[in-house]
Amino acid sequence: MSDLMSVITSTFSMSVPLILAALGGVLSVKSGVMALGLESMMTMGAFCGVLGSFYSGNAVIGILAGMAGGGLFGLGHAVLSVRYKVNQVISGIGLNLLAVAATTLLMQIIWDNKGSSPQVASIDGNVFTSPITYIMLAVMFFEYFLLFKTRFGLRLRMVGENPKAASTVGLAVHKIKYIGVTASGVLAGLGGAYLSLDHLNMYVRDMSAGRGYIAVAIMILAKYNPFQVLLCALIFGFSDALQISFQGRGVPPQIMAMLPYAVTLLVLAFGARHITPPAGVGCHDDD
Amino acid sequence: MYAVEMKNITKQYPLVLALDHVDFALKKGEIHSLLGENGAGKSTLMKVLYGICRPDEGTIIVNGKQVDLKKPKQAIDLGIGMVHQHFMLTPVMSVTENIVVGCEPVRGVIFDKASAQRQVQEMIDRYGFQIQADQKVKELSVGEQQKVEILKAIYRNAKILILDEPTAVLTPQEVEELFRILRELKKAGTSITIITHKLKETLEVADTVSVLRDGRMIQSDISTKGVTTEELAQMMVGREVELGICRKTQSVGKVRLNVKEITLREKEKTVLDKISFQLKEGEILGIAGIEGNGQTELIECLTGIRKADVSLIEKDGEKLEGAPGDFISRKVGHIPEDRMTRGLVLELSVRDNLILGYQKLFQKNGVMNRRRIREFTENLLKEYGIKAPNISVKCSSLSGGNQQKIVIARVFSEDPDVLIVAQPTRGVDIGAIEYIHERLLKLRDEGKAILLISADLDEVKNLSDRLMVMYDGRIVAEGLPEQFDDMHLGLLMTGAAGREGLQYE
Repeated sequence: MSDLMSVITSTFSMSVPLILAALGGVLSVKSGVMALGLESMMTMGAFCGVLGSFYSGNAVIGILAGMAGGGLFGLGHAVLSVRYKVNQVISGIGLNLLAVAATTLLMQIIWDNKGSSPQVASIDGNVFTSPITYIMLAVMFFEYFLLFKTRFGLRLRMVGENPKAASTVGLAVHKIKYIGVTASGVLAGLGGAYLSLDHLNMYVRDMSAGRGYIAVAIMILAKYNPFQVLLCALIFGFSDALQISFQGRGVPPQIMAMLPYAVTLLVLAFGARHITPPAGVGCHDDD
Repeated sequence: MYAVEMKNITKQYPLVLALDHVDFALKKGEIHSLLGENGAGKSTLMKVLYGICRPDEGTIIVNGKQVDLKKPKQAIDLGIGMVHQHFMLTPVMSVTENIVVGCEPVRGVIFDKASAQRQVQEMIDRYGFQIQADQKVKELSVGEQQKVEILKAIYRNAKILILDEPTAVLTPQEVEELFRILRELKKAGTSITIITHKLKETLEVADTVSVLRDGRMIQSDISTKGVTTEELAQMMVGREVELGICRKTQSVGKVRLNVKEITLREKEKTVLDKISFQLKEGEILGIAGIEGNGQTELIECLTGIRKADVSLIEKDGEKLEGAPGDFISRKVGHIPEDRMTRGLVLELSVRDNLILGYQKLFQKNGVMNRRRIREFTENLLKEYGIKAPNISVKCSSLSGGNQQKIVIARVFSEDPDVLIVAQPTRGVDIGAIEYIHERLLKLRDEGKAILLISADLDEVKNLSDRLMVMYDGRIVAEGLPEQFDDMHLGLLMTGAAGREGLQYE
């Protein structure tokens, strides 16, 4: 019974960062920019969160720092893919590689340790009492409202579907894309900070461990809809939780650790076949 | 009084001088046709006026005031609207959303959908369109989508309307409807410019014509009264051209290609429904129809690119099947409908493209015979009048007309018995059209059997010896071209007139 409870709690707590990153990804894709850089933004969120908490001794400041770190990489992705029209896949993967290298280097410089940071002030409590959980829920409702009920949302979706059409009716295509992609970084950064400051109280090398990519899969499976992101993320959160609870029970842990990634693969191969992203993803308004 | 005056407009692109000191003036309340071949600079000139592209030189005066247009927003604010050749619509969104985006009615920050829908529906009703404001754009026909584009401009209070090749994709009925709308807008005081290369339509709807050629204004402000299509064509091309060559076959021989009951289903939908016909030597059999009614699939089945569910194709009484290579070696030539994707490899050289598909003939033990290829391709360049600096340049650097000539030269030079020719003159200038038509007729006179699929009604009617109309995957009518008038063809092509068309047989 307590096993079941722990799997349920764990499912929710593993889902929160995935949901945050996927909600960010939705904003990015809806504005027409592929969200393959989520992994880097989560990594930066986790790292900068600990860094902020380490220097200030305050977990809230740490979380804000994490969001800023993710947002910075989001902005970088926007500059590369909107301003310089770099192929969005390459830009995203490039950022992912950069984030791993940069955080490892900074850990070595700051803490003289390539593996993990010292323990820092963090958010107490479990997933049901954590403020980030409720922020996440609020973000989900707000994002739905923003995308489908407001003027800005209509414009953002128009830009993502057909940037040329958007620019011919006088929309500020670049500005809207910058907002969408930077916001995706902020949200993924918050998800990353959750990993290091809520789930744990330190930064560990390669902390996001592919969750940014899983968030991409979630967002696709959710048909880029904020509410469905929640449901889809729970599938992945559950597989992650299962993996944790099976550790040390005779099953080789390496096999169980594969579970979330195997689920991702299966979902992308079979579940996401007929889901079409906005038509303007990867397109520019002026070519 | 002028709505727009453009003076001395010059635009230099990296390789071409798109506009060379062009003057253009649009009077208030007139319909002005901007005539010219592809690449003459018509679209560029209008993009300058709409703020999409900035000129290197020149002044623009709108309603008596000099303006400096940096982006479309400014043009929109000046009351300029543009209907682009490739519609600027988002298929997955509603008619209302497409029309109002950019100047939406709002309550606070919330998009006031109800009020937007009401306004749009009111506009639709005012012009008597059969569209619903809440329909998704992807559910609309091409003609209806164009109406959405026009409404987009009207919603923004456009008093100056630019239409870029508005009739290129319309059926005859839709063209009539468009002209009715344009005349109505003109009556309401809107000044309209239509960019086109169609002469008949220019004379039908426009008050004034200006002709551009190679980025220069050849003659502007010509009244459409007292000018003929021949004169306009001569101004456009710079020499005399024969328009609408029409020469019917002298002798039709035996059946070369016998097609029986081609049927193709795709995703629960019948794309081709029991299509049968016989193609005889010495004739051009035309297939008219709006794109997307199965023509593409039919072409693919007839050239081996796709395998139909049910099909029997016989060439000279023997079964024809297999891969595209087998069709080619059985002397069935194919001029694809889209030269960019199927006809050419744009990033390869002219030389490589000229032997593409026939490369087996130029090798020995897997090694290409470069000298023979060079001689062969250089001859083709001369014979077909392909304007390319040399045989090593990439195909992508050539004009549409010359690219199409490469496809044609390649296929014709291998002496096929049967030719599947699709959209042979799309996006090609008048000079090249004349040449391609002549070539096709010459091949037919030599006794080839030609199947011609084209969305250009004049083209199929003029060239074909026999004509079939395709709608929704079926042949809905067959007869001699002169038995169909444009309006009747339009009805057949849209399915409004059904199989009774078969009575012509």
